[in-house]
Amino acid sequence: MAKKIGVYICSGCGIGDALDIDALAKVATKEYKVPVCQKNAFFCGKEGVEVIKKDIAENEVTYVVIAGCSGRVNYDVFNFGPSVVLERVNLRERVVWTQEPDDEDTQMMAEDYLRITLAKLKNLELPEAYVIENCNKRVMVVGGGLAGMTSAVEVAKAGYEVVLVEKEDSLGGWLKRSYKIAPLNSPYTDPEDTGLEARVKEIEGNSNIKVYTSTTIEKTAGAPGMFDVTLKQGGGTLEEKVGAIILATGAVPYEPSKLGHLGYGASPNVVTQAQFEELAAKGTIARPSDGKAVQKVGFIQCAGSRDQEHLPYCSAACCVESIKQALYVKGQNSEAAVYVFYKDIRSSGQYEHFYKKAQSEGVMFIKADVTGVTDDGGNLTIEANDLLMGSPTMADELDMVVLANGMVPTTAFEDPAYGTEAQEEAACAAADAAPVPAPIIKSNILNLEYRQGPELPSLKYGFPDSHFICFPYETRRTGIYAAGSVRRPMDMSQAVGDATGAALKAVQCIEMTDKGGAVHPRSGDISFPDFQLNRCTQCKRCTEECPFGAINEDEKGNPLPNPTRCRRCGTCMGACPERIISFKNYSVPMLGNMLKSIEVPEEDEEKPRVLIFACENDAIPALDMAGINRLQYSKWVRIIPVRCLGSLNLVWINDAMSKGFDGVLLMGCKHGDDYQCHFMKGSELAGIRLSKVSETLDRLGLESERVYMTEVNVMDYDRIPKIINEFVEKIDKFGPNPMKGF
Amino acid sequence: MTGFNVSSGPLKYDTEFAREIYSLENGHHIKKCMQCGMCEVSCATRKEMDYSPRKMFLLLRTGQREEFFKSNTMWMCSTCLMCKVRCPRGVPIVDVMHDLKCYAISKGYTERAQAAFYQSFWKEIWSRGKQFEGGLMARYYLKRGWKDIRKDAFRMKDMGLTMLKHGRMPLMPPKSVKGLKDVQKLVEVAKAQLQKGADR
Amino acid sequence: MNMVNKSILVVGGGISGLTAAIEAAEVGFDVFIVEKNPYLGGKVTQINQYFPKLCPPNCGLEINFRRIRSNPAVKFFTMAEVESVSGQEGNFDVTVKINPRYVNENCTGCGKCAEVCPAQRANDFNYGLDKTKAAYLPHQFAFPVKYVIDAGACQDGCSKCVEACQYNAIEKDMQPKTMKLNVGSIVWATGWKPYDAEKLSYYGFGRYPNVITNVIMERLAAINGPTGGKIVRPSDGKEIKSIAFVQCAGSRDENHLHACSSVCCMASLKQATYVREQYPDAKICIYYIDIRARGKHEDFFVKVQNEANITLIKGKAGEIQEDSATGQLVIVAEDQLNQALSEEKFDMVVLATGMQPATAETKVPAEMTYDEDGYVAAGTPGICAAGCTKKPQDVAAAVADATAAALRAIQSVRGQS
Repeated sequence: MAKKIGVYICSGCGIGDALDIDALAKVATKEYKVPVCQKNAFFCGKEGVEVIKKDIAENEVTYVVIAGCSGRVNYDVFNFGPSVVLERVNLRERVVWTQEPDDEDTQMMAEDYLRITLAKLKNLELPEAYVIENCNKRVMVVGGGLAGMTSAVEVAKAGYEVVLVEKEDSLGGWLKRSYKIAPLNSPYTDPEDTGLEARVKEIEGNSNIKVYTSTTIEKTAGAPGMFDVTLKQGGGTLEEKVGAIILATGAVPYEPSKLGHLGYGASPNVVTQAQFEELAAKGTIARPSDGKAVQKVGFIQCAGSRDQEHLPYCSAACCVESIKQALYVKGQNSEAAVYVFYKDIRSSGQYEHFYKKAQSEGVMFIKADVTGVTDDGGNLTIEANDLLMGSPTMADELDMVVLANGMVPTTAFEDPAYGTEAQEEAACAAADAAPVPAPIIKSNILNLEYRQGPELPSLKYGFPDSHFICFPYETRRTGIYAAGSVRRPMDMSQAVGDATGAALKAVQCIEMTDKGGAVHPRSGDISFPDFQLNRCTQCKRCTEECPFGAINEDEKGNPLPNPTRCRRCGTCMGACPERIISFKNYSVPMLGNMLKSIEVPEEDEEKPRVLIFACENDAIPALDMAGINRLQYSKWVRIIPVRCLGSLNLVWINDAMSKGFDGVLLMGCKHGDDYQCHFMKGSELAGIRLSKVSETLDRLGLESERVYMTEVNVMDYDRIPKIINEFVEKIDKFGPNPMKGF
Repeated sequence: MTGFNVSSGPLKYDTEFAREIYSLENGHHIKKCMQCGMCEVSCATRKEMDYSPRKMFLLLRTGQREEFFKSNTMWMCSTCLMCKVRCPRGVPIVDVMHDLKCYAISKGYTERAQAAFYQSFWKEIWSRGKQFEGGLMARYYLKRGWKDIRKDAFRMKDMGLTMLKHGRMPLMPPKSVKGLKDVQKLVEVAKAQLQKGADR
Repeated sequence: MNMVNKSILVVGGGISGLTAAIEAAEVGFDVFIVEKNPYLGGKVTQINQYFPKLCPPNCGLEINFRRIRSNPAVKFFTMAEVESVSGQEGNFDVTVKINPRYVNENCTGCGKCAEVCPAQRANDFNYGLDKTKAAYLPHQFAFPVKYVIDAGACQDGCSKCVEACQYNAIEKDMQPKTMKLNVGSIVWATGWKPYDAEKLSYYGFGRYPNVITNVIMERLAAINGPTGGKIVRPSDGKEIKSIAFVQCAGSRDENHLHACSSVCCMASLKQATYVREQYPDAKICIYYIDIRARGKHEDFFVKVQNEANITLIKGKAGEIQEDSATGQLVIVAEDQLNQALSEEKFDMVVLATGMQPATAETKVPAEMTYDEDGYVAAGTPGICAAGCTKKPQDVAAAVADATAAALRAIQSVRGQS
């Protein structure tokens, strides 16, 4: 497609009153020799749009630049189809609404924004999707418990083939060991049958689901649309090809031997929830020591959970599980005494009905700190401080004590087979002041052949990392979605829903990959990074820093990109010191030329220039909001959006300084434990890189404070003027960049 | 409200006693209490009670027989109904309190003034089909004994005189209602029905 | 002949509806969103920060709106309501009523109309705590960025906005329209509303100005709220020295909402951090029955518990009385852990009012079953519920649930082919 640029300058919404539109047009026509440039007072109106459409149809305009309002508005009006490159110059929100009207400096700002965009177009190529041949549309589900079986069935129902892998010899997971389950449906009052048989039957009867039992994963190689999974079964191995993976390996009970303080191990009659479930499944619940049918049972909640010494988190399911098990006892003998010692009863939502049911059956709930469990020749005594009675209390002659011992995700256990390589690696990296790699616990589940490690990176407690509020399924390994209690502590009803959602994400990833599009958050983006490998110095930064582990490495240390794993954030591009990584429509030279296109006045003009790199996810909308609220800020700044601060290549700072900019401000998302960065690690990595810039600046004889990074979230728009103006003032104090004019 | 202080070691649970309480007409409602404490705050006489209804229920569930009989909680209930209206678990607290009073009396715990009053009141109604203040007074003080007469009767004399003046306290007993026997029969039937309900 | 329609209708454009719609569209299906408000995003647009990350909901919403902007498969209608549904899975005929916005697609969002508008209206986005012009943008992040005119608030015969608008965007005679959609499956995600706190007469909401609800607190704390993010007493705009949070205001109550609303504990803990941020010395009390910070949220509970000046009182707040001279409020509660009756004075009280599903009042115009609180207990082939239409849940759970609903909708239309 020939590149023919058309510039359309809108003078509506007060733009025409504040700016000299003719002078602006000259930037396009004279400086940039743009062949088509039109002005209109209402481009988003029907006639205005027609003007542009006509140029596209008759004048073969292929690159459309609309200088007017922000790209956040009128996106639907200015939609000219995929064959036209559309760029918006935000004169309204970013210039006219934040600056003095009819002012020389305002005009200079507007002209610079037009230059930036035109410079961008010079370097911008239309990306072509990376489409893999024969994208595999099957989904592998790892784990055959409730979540895994649900995912498998739901994926199959949507018309896709499934490979279901279970390490035990039959499907079912915890359902197999359960007598009944907490109700999944209204009215949420009675335990329900596990439905295991029906579920297994449904899977076995579904020709779209291939089940492997007694099978583990030896190796997972490849990428979305083309995973090669080596399964280990018996002594042998076999291969399966799939397009996406659902990790549903669930959780295991917290190790009860660590609960000696609650009597575990002291008596066979002190059991875990899981053990109690097995007893219930056998028929009459009888105490293990002598087989006597139980008359008095004590449940101890938060046995391990909500305990800084054990599991700091709440295991979410145990309250409901204990209510269920208490009802077993009551069902067996309505006269039985059942005591539940708790911290808080967390029967959230409609499970409140379940709690009420247990109460009305006579189960007694005691808010207490348990101080001890003792065995008196088979009979047990729970001693506790009853917090609501304000006195010590004891339940004696108990036949059994059940410990609600919580859950630990299967991903939290380091397989001893691995040794301590991971820690060593992490220690080395830390010594290097390089970014500390994500904690990847070698739990021997997926065994990914990924350069960054064999499993999903975790955030805390071994649960896989994700933006768990807004985008809960988006792990840091594209095409691999965690579901059920491996993702976060949850009860069975949540696990069913969770597994269904993960099924959608797997299917979606496959369909997106098939079209060459990215998944969240740049959904549908077809651009992807090219690597000019002949210039690679094997520094490994790209392979180490990619937040999504998209890049593998050959034995010489060359990067082996996997475009279908890529989320298109550009972190690799930012990391590369040789600048060999670029997207067709986003590259180091492109941004470099954009910033170089800005006119930096001579020192004696006393017009400083501050460059702002702003993350397009949060900082750019915040800057728009500042405009919508007509908040005024310094006229010396020029803003360039970036995909993520992670894509910030330090050469741009160099470029900016050589060009004569007096300062550079970086606006990115919050990082750390409660990160908001949409690419999880991008802004953090930018910060680490930036820490190395000061040295360079010092070498150039520049104050390192001239480059500053700040966190801006979408609601910080009221702070925008303060952030910008204070930085400009600070720069002002340093005086002009001595490199100006060189 | 007082704290619960037990000098002789921890509280032990007595399921027998709890079961007995649950078997009262409204006793099973006690099981539903989730210990929120709304009842105490709603209670008009909360400052008089040694245990809030919430805590009383906890005592009953854990089977604290002695504490129950010692407590004044149910006796202080003035049946204002506020707790029953507000209880988030729908426990008819007033009705439970009534049952608890009856239960205590049936177990011979009649030494409380309120118990004497309830009993006297009922006797009057039973014997005449209506209330006679003089008779009620006589029955009540007969139960309470000389000490109470000395303490109360003189303290209340002004009120008595005022009532006399306004003809609100006839000196002579009124005639019994017509068909007193039938009224009594009706009550017996109702009682029997109640018993049957409780047994069921 | 039964033509199978493969498009999906999502009713409700809140976080659940948006998620269901976008997730389905990104698999490759055509989706329509029908939203009652003049903007998308629903309740979360009114929330200041999400727990436990304390991040702004508009951040996630921006991404979702960008996904809509870049995906022609998603079409949405604001100020629209579903009137009727007929047909069956794979072929539903849906009548949608579109209420007049009085502003057409010419609107550029320039704001001239609001500038010249002489009339005011109570700002429902801020629960009536402030006013907007009769010509208004619902809120700064409103998507789509189109103004609305509240005809009921207009001055008689006024046409100032019409004259001021250079783009002929205002049509004061706009009429309601009805529109027919044919779709293969439907996701019902009309969400929830805060329980009417005036029904809890003993808490004095509506009578005592300094008793507010948790949803109002979100607006008070939000930078784009009526006070610019400053938490102050509604009665006199004064700073606060003490504040109480009353949990289970309506929830877990046989007289009100039978279920637990599941989010209010975390919401109040979060709002306590808002207060801590602005008033490090303020006394903060949280009255509770059980603190339900499930799963990893426990970390946040522990964090807040350890903050200075925060006291958790185990005992449902029973009654609130106002000292009319000072506007202060006295909360009476049983401080159970201390075996004492507690009477404490506060400058402001926040009622953690629970969730009531929208379907408690406005049912789905199809065969569905509901539970005792009005949540959808079971759908019908081709129609499923998502998010808080199904159960009280937080944003993270609602998003997961809506993602699941997107799959069910896809199964419905795929299964028909």
